[in-house]
Amino acid sequence: MFRLNGQSEDVPGDWSDEPLLHLLREHFGLKGAKFGCGVGLCGACKVIVDGEAVRSCTFPASALEGTEVRTIEGLARGENLHPVQAAWLAEAVPQCGYCQSGQIMSAVALLEQNPAPSDTDVDAAMDGNLCRCGTYTRIRKAIARATEAV
Amino acid sequence: MNRRGFLKAGGVGLVALIGGGAAVFSQVPVIPSRPEPDFEAAAGWIAYRDGRYTLTLPRAEMGQNIATAMKQIACTELDVDWDAVDVELHDTARAGVKPTVGSESVMLFTEPLAQACAALRDAVAAGRATGEVEVVARPRSALKVFQRGGAIGQSPVIAQGLEIVTGQPIYAADIDRPGMLFGRVLRAPASTEVRSRPVAWNADAAQAVAGFVAVVEDAGPPIGQAQGLGIVASRPGALDAIAEALAVEWDVGSDHPRADVGAAIDVDTALAAGPLPHVSLDGAPEDGAWDVDLRVDVPLAAHGPIEPRAAVAEWADERLTIWAGSQDVFYIRDVVADAFSLGADQVLVQSCRVGGGFGGKTICTVEAEAAALSLALSAPVKVQWTRPQEFALAFHRPPSSHRIKARLQDGRVTDWDHAQVSSHVMFTSAVLPSWMQRGTDLFAGDGGVERGMAVPYRLGRARAAYDALRLPVHTGPWRGLGAGPNALATESALDEAARVAGLDPLAFRLAHIDDPRLAAVLEEVGRIADWSGTAQSAQRGETRIGRGIACGIYKEVSYAATVAEVAVSPDGRVRVTHLWCTHECGLVVNPDQVKAQCEGNLLWSLGMVLTDDLPLDRGRVAAEYFSDAPIPTLTETPEITIALLDTDNPPVGAGETAMVSGPGAIANAIRAATGHRLSRFPVDVTELAA
Repeated sequence: MFRLNGQSEDVPGDWSDEPLLHLLREHFGLKGAKFGCGVGLCGACKVIVDGEAVRSCTFPASALEGTEVRTIEGLARGENLHPVQAAWLAEAVPQCGYCQSGQIMSAVALLEQNPAPSDTDVDAAMDGNLCRCGTYTRIRKAIARATEAV
Repeated sequence: MNRRGFLKAGGVGLVALIGGGAAVFSQVPVIPSRPEPDFEAAAGWIAYRDGRYTLTLPRAEMGQNIATAMKQIACTELDVDWDAVDVELHDTARAGVKPTVGSESVMLFTEPLAQACAALRDAVAAGRATGEVEVVARPRSALKVFQRGGAIGQSPVIAQGLEIVTGQPIYAADIDRPGMLFGRVLRAPASTEVRSRPVAWNADAAQAVAGFVAVVEDAGPPIGQAQGLGIVASRPGALDAIAEALAVEWDVGSDHPRADVGAAIDVDTALAAGPLPHVSLDGAPEDGAWDVDLRVDVPLAAHGPIEPRAAVAEWADERLTIWAGSQDVFYIRDVVADAFSLGADQVLVQSCRVGGGFGGKTICTVEAEAAALSLALSAPVKVQWTRPQEFALAFHRPPSSHRIKARLQDGRVTDWDHAQVSSHVMFTSAVLPSWMQRGTDLFAGDGGVERGMAVPYRLGRARAAYDALRLPVHTGPWRGLGAGPNALATESALDEAARVAGLDPLAFRLAHIDDPRLAAVLEEVGRIADWSGTAQSAQRGETRIGRGIACGIYKEVSYAATVAEVAVSPDGRVRVTHLWCTHECGLVVNPDQVKAQCEGNLLWSLGMVLTDDLPLDRGRVAAEYFSDAPIPTLTETPEITIALLDTDNPPVGAGETAMVSGPGAIANAIRAATGHRLSRFPVDVTELAA
């Protein structure tokens, strides 16, 4: 048993060998976290487990017992976007958008742990999230905007 | 020219068919294996029903946010609120459109879409609710878009932005179908230009893996000469274990004769054997000593999209449906129909948002794999390439080897000679068999390799010639095609020429430019970067600071200039600290998204100089992960300042333009900082150690 966006869920027995990413996407139907590399190098699959941004492609489903998992689908409260989501739209961050779920989850975890991150803190927290389109300057701006909003 | 089209009945509602003269709007096809689409059939993109409009996007959406720009055009010309228009991605049930390549969407589709929307607006205003309406093209001056009306020049919240930030399913790999299985096609660890096929495998061991469904011997067409073996599982995570348990033995041909790619394309070796066959500039430089004699080598590079390509295929009721993240779903339909002997009307390909294209998702690969597996199992199958497959089986930016010579007199270039050896781009080896490529080599050269060799400067007796050689790695279009590497080489050489002349590199360029639009972006970038008021070389403690400048024209229509500032540490590590960029692409539909394209091009420019490389081992791609073929990171991202020159020139493309100026500016800044002219890319820090 574990918590997924506030709901109690079980890992079906035949999915226990899968990484969390596949479990989320193909069993629970939550498509926000993305497959990018499968080895924890690009960050597209990041979700928040017990308050930490983790790479779900290398996080085994078998280790979920008792954890609290949050995905991008659980950030908004109804129509009200999380301040990080709102900042991402206001700064028009996404180009292709494929990496942005992981970027947003990294930023959410950062701001929860450090509500006023320095530029160095932002670099350290976000450097493991790759973007090929080149949205990094807007990611910085969006985090700054969300920092003010939080 | 024919400027008439028709608004046509679409069951219910009012549907516009866009008409336009092919002679006006068509361009040279970028994918030669695909026939030039009939522009007049590029139809039905805007429809009206029950007070709402639906824009079926006639382009692939891959992050250029063209859905937003075209919705702006539609809302403006329809004269309706932003929320009155719904945007849908197209499928192949519609009439075919050109592949989404070459920064053509705004350039070629703005006016046709505006004409159709204007006709629809008038029809609705006249009380029409159903049926056909004829589109009679009106003068541009009568279109609101060209008068900068409505949403033109604004930056609304991007289309699909909400879906992206809330994690909604909009990419091919996000598709779910009832009873869907997960597949992969295994191929030999070998060059795709060497014949390979599976000869033996341990099916019993594979069957013992939980989640195993099937081994599929008929796994669809080869990729290059690599014939695959399909595996299917009920869960995606089982595929790795099945592949391992199968322990496939491969029959692999002997090494490719050009396995040493660097030696194969060495420009000096080629020149020693005689002149290069394809001529881009046909001047005749005089013999004699040269003032600049520069060798520039640019390696293979992957596109590196964060989305490994993916497809879901479903064979049901004698029809095949494919969901694809592609720059060209019509090409996929045609290839799949041909490969599996289906009628084109039996295959439907639905566009999904593309998770990074950059020229690399223009052919049919993973889609045919998914189709083969779905056909074999009569079930929906999802296939997403692994990251190692994305490197090994995709096509890449070809490596190129350049020799550039210049001679000067009285501060002006009098003679110029640029020779390049590369591999194919337009006539990509990923699609064309070698026998067909020999024909294109003989009669057509390769305009993708050539792009940018005709420099936008008056350089006296200027010659540029090239050759393209088929390599063991598939090569093809990569953001900007040849323009990026060619401009890196030519802007480096021009910078050296300015040094020989003892002139400021901005003033030196201006003195060789005839085109006022190019002069304008160059002067403007000098202004915003305070070029004349800032030292080009400086020392800050042990750190060497340098500034460089470059400019160029993309596809003869779109203009950019860049100033780069770099800081080089004593151990030779380069940090790009600031990039200034000016860009002129005519009428700007969405300034914020044009800036976003500049930002992307500048990050790609940084990558070209500092990181892009794709290591090979005996002619096969050795890179498996981003650690082997790095892309720029957030920490490496400099401050970026962009200024758009807003003009009344016709709207053109922005998606690749700054690739002509960014790399050269960074290389020239490193030269200013260190005194070292980079000749091999990406930068080797040991060359730059103090």
